[in-house]
Amino acid sequence: MGLSRRADVSKCGQLSGIGGVNSSRYDACVIGAGAEGLAAAIVLAKAGLRTAVIERSAQPGGRCATREFHPGFRASPFADELAPIPSSLYWKLGLARHGAFFLPAPLSTAIWPDRVDILDVSATSGASRLGTQVCDFQRSILARAFREAESPAPGWRFWSRSQSPAPPWPGAAWLHRTLDDIFHDRMLSEDQAAHLAAAALAGRAVDPSLGGSALHLLAPGAGGSGLIVGGFASLANALISAAREAGVEVVLGVEVSDVRHRQGRLEGVGLSNGTEMAASVVISSLDFKRTLLSLFTWNGLPAAVIRRAGEYRTNGGMARVLLALERPPELPATLVSPEIFRGPIYVAPDNAAFGAAYASWRAGTIPEQPPAVLRLVSALDPRLALVGGATMTVTLGCIPARLFDGAWTRERREHLLARALAAAEKAVPGTRERVVGAEVIVPPDIEAELGSTDGDLLGGEIAADQMFGFRPWGDPALAISPRTPIDGLYLAGPSSSAGPFATCASGAIAAAAVIADRMAGRIR
Amino acid sequence: MRDTRNYDAIVVGAGVNGLVAAAYLAKAGLRVLVAEARNKLGGHCETAAIADGFNAPISAHTLYAFDPELLEELKLGKQGLVFAVRDMPLIVPDAGTAPIVLGRDMRAAARSIAPYSQADAKAYPEYRQQLFSLARRMRTIWWNDGKLDLRANDSRVLEKLRQWSVFAWLDSWFETNALKAALAFDAMAGSPLEPGSALALLWRASQEMCGLQGAAALPRGGPGALVQAIAAAAQNAGVEIRTGVPVTRIHIQGDIVCGVELARGDMISAPIVISSLPARRTILELADGANLDIAARRRFDRRFGETAAAKVLFAVNGLPPRLATLASGRIVVAEGMEGLVVAHGQARAGDLPDDLAMELIIPTFADPTLAPPGQHIVSVLVRPVPLAAAGWSELKGLLVERTVLAIERVAPGFAKYISAFKLVTPEDMEAVYGAGACAAVSADRMLLPWKARVGTGTKGLYLCGASVEPMDAVSGRAGRITASMILMNRKS
Repeated sequence: MGLSRRADVSKCGQLSGIGGVNSSRYDACVIGAGAEGLAAAIVLAKAGLRTAVIERSAQPGGRCATREFHPGFRASPFADELAPIPSSLYWKLGLARHGAFFLPAPLSTAIWPDRVDILDVSATSGASRLGTQVCDFQRSILARAFREAESPAPGWRFWSRSQSPAPPWPGAAWLHRTLDDIFHDRMLSEDQAAHLAAAALAGRAVDPSLGGSALHLLAPGAGGSGLIVGGFASLANALISAAREAGVEVVLGVEVSDVRHRQGRLEGVGLSNGTEMAASVVISSLDFKRTLLSLFTWNGLPAAVIRRAGEYRTNGGMARVLLALERPPELPATLVSPEIFRGPIYVAPDNAAFGAAYASWRAGTIPEQPPAVLRLVSALDPRLALVGGATMTVTLGCIPARLFDGAWTRERREHLLARALAAAEKAVPGTRERVVGAEVIVPPDIEAELGSTDGDLLGGEIAADQMFGFRPWGDPALAISPRTPIDGLYLAGPSSSAGPFATCASGAIAAAAVIADRMAGRIR
Repeated sequence: MRDTRNYDAIVVGAGVNGLVAAAYLAKAGLRVLVAEARNKLGGHCETAAIADGFNAPISAHTLYAFDPELLEELKLGKQGLVFAVRDMPLIVPDAGTAPIVLGRDMRAAARSIAPYSQADAKAYPEYRQQLFSLARRMRTIWWNDGKLDLRANDSRVLEKLRQWSVFAWLDSWFETNALKAALAFDAMAGSPLEPGSALALLWRASQEMCGLQGAAALPRGGPGALVQAIAAAAQNAGVEIRTGVPVTRIHIQGDIVCGVELARGDMISAPIVISSLPARRTILELADGANLDIAARRRFDRRFGETAAAKVLFAVNGLPPRLATLASGRIVVAEGMEGLVVAHGQARAGDLPDDLAMELIIPTFADPTLAPPGQHIVSVLVRPVPLAAAGWSELKGLLVERTVLAIERVAPGFAKYISAFKLVTPEDMEAVYGAGACAAVSADRMLLPWKARVGTGTKGLYLCGASVEPMDAVSGRAGRITASMILMNRKS
């Protein structure tokens, strides 16, 4: 069998949970201790499964990380906001008891050299009606994903091949539409349309006039609405403590090197320290591509599956610049209130500029004017900066993961820093002279730290053929996520069918599928 | 001044579709007038002299979608329509090595792909089989006003094509970049990244020329010969064709059409007006909005087309040896899939793409009467090119230069054979034919029933131009279906 050796995890990493490791045999093993992975583990453990979570880095949380990038200055390196957690899930996971609280969405501002557009999501306007529609779509997409996880939809696997295709997903009406179109339909002013486009596309590589770009409204990444009191670290801590309470074994500092399977059945996972862990169910919160292409020996999987994984498109395009400022920036008082610093500030959004930036992203060059979002994160959470100082993040979109002429060298990062500072200077003059420290994070850094292919935090390109039931399985005969063609392997994370619409949800959906399949006797 | 003669129907524009609609209505006993703004019939189907003795296809240069039912019902063969070539293989030249030739013979096609990639050689017959068998089933909605009846598996593939971009679709089949780019050229009306653009390939595969599915044919005498045959059939049926009479307005009273106004000020009344001009121009310019609300008007206005195609026609006094070996097919020159994406982006931004994508045809190879003996015409369709709101004057020289350079790469020595050339820019096409932009492939438009595309909401006003076809092409089908719908409506 090869799986009899005990997983000696206590030697190599920090160990938590009640009782420690007393057996290397688990009912389920979750790869990745991000929000999705931990949510999956909590749901499974609460259902009585012996569950282990394996995390490569020494810190849990995945993208919900906060770190010191300059002495005394801290920021979340990957995102400033999360997609919201569905409220039922929030209570089910017991996050409130463990100290994770959400803040209401702040104002959103777009600044051009000569004018300003401020968007208050609580007010009634064409924009907020659109927001309501988006929320409705997200809610019904998640509801359907949960429903199908709990009872596989007709169309799953060969036994139902003859049946008619499933009804279209909510939001499928937007599959072919462009962002421009959607805004135009709602008679938004040009400034407002550009502002909303910037909000939807923050940190992504998209052309708002290309068909299908409307889908980006559904998938909040950098521009969502989930702010957490005390920064992301408090969400990670709350999840970890909820997981411990539920009896989940969390193993940090160990990487899963491969998933062992025999005759289409999972046997367990191999760990980077040479040990093995037996489990009949594995939930991977890595993206689809990485899960299949890096955790399996290719010749062990059906060719169609490997092929589908190979053609799955990821398009990371986000770079982040973390800036330590010696004192908070100021805006001319006549222009706007300092209140806007609590929310995102979009720098001179303009659809033509998006198009141009997208073109250079495709060509593998750094755009002249990448779409930029500024956030003074220390305005919401003063603990992130030294007293008297301020921490600002600049999120840039359309930054290629691979440059056409080579790697991201030091000079190119400095070049990018200069572009980011120029953007910040454009919206908030005087930023540049206050900078005392900076860190540049480009897509390959995100890939190296989080393991998301191409540094794509959305788990794959947002496109008609990679959404909803298509995500990531284009062919229902193969499987419908979170299920995969390998019995016992489930997919969580943004590249599963729940998509990047909500935090924690895809983990809970994968866990629901595991529980349903165990009840039905489809897996051990 | 009021025209005293009475007509049952007026057809605006004597393009192929307009003439076909007129012929069908006249055959059913209606008095039909066709009003054409130019002095020449046929619209995009035009053969004209580009130099002494060289008669070249000015706009459309192959026929790949002409309706086979029309050929029979209008007895175009009797009017003198003969095809010089039934099917031109798709040729992908690659400097230095043997070209890929994709013809009827699947084994030969696979053999020519094999040196590039064994996997692709294996995949191509399978790809073609899947595409062509689904395409045959799609004919019920694309050839006639029928209902789609698909098996579960077919409807899954259709759903997939509806969602997938041509880029992703071809990527999932093949690995040879040149092959993918050549296949994608047919879908390049819009961006290859547009979801649903893969449907363009399906539509193309559903067509039939001379009994061959997915073929590209050449009529003897160029596309102009086709127009002459249709015009003769229409006139035999009793259609009155007037040229040089631009229609400036379509009159609507309440929600009923009442006639058209000509540029001279004449008013001709008729209970039925059929426009073969683009929908946008008909509704928004000629019919003054046709009583539509803002949302409906926007539907006509929106995404009309952001890029265009240009034609470069060369008269050559010989062919370079490499080109002579490829002359029997349509040669697609494109710099890979990524190149097409970049080209489309550049064209949309108003710049001429650095790497042009083009389709070359040498009509004189099969039809030597088009040029003096021993000499040839090379007809080049360049797509995408910018619409260039600021005018084409600056781009003209650059376009010809880059076209020649691109052909030189495929066929060294081409430049020194050129004796004359003619450039037809999107601006010229707009001015001459009234339609310059390529309408982007839209999944909605392609799968909508004909009824929804042909009707306008105004009683008696119908559309029959290329813009109501699932995709822009010379097919005549829109004319036939519009006419049959009009006759059906008259009966009831």
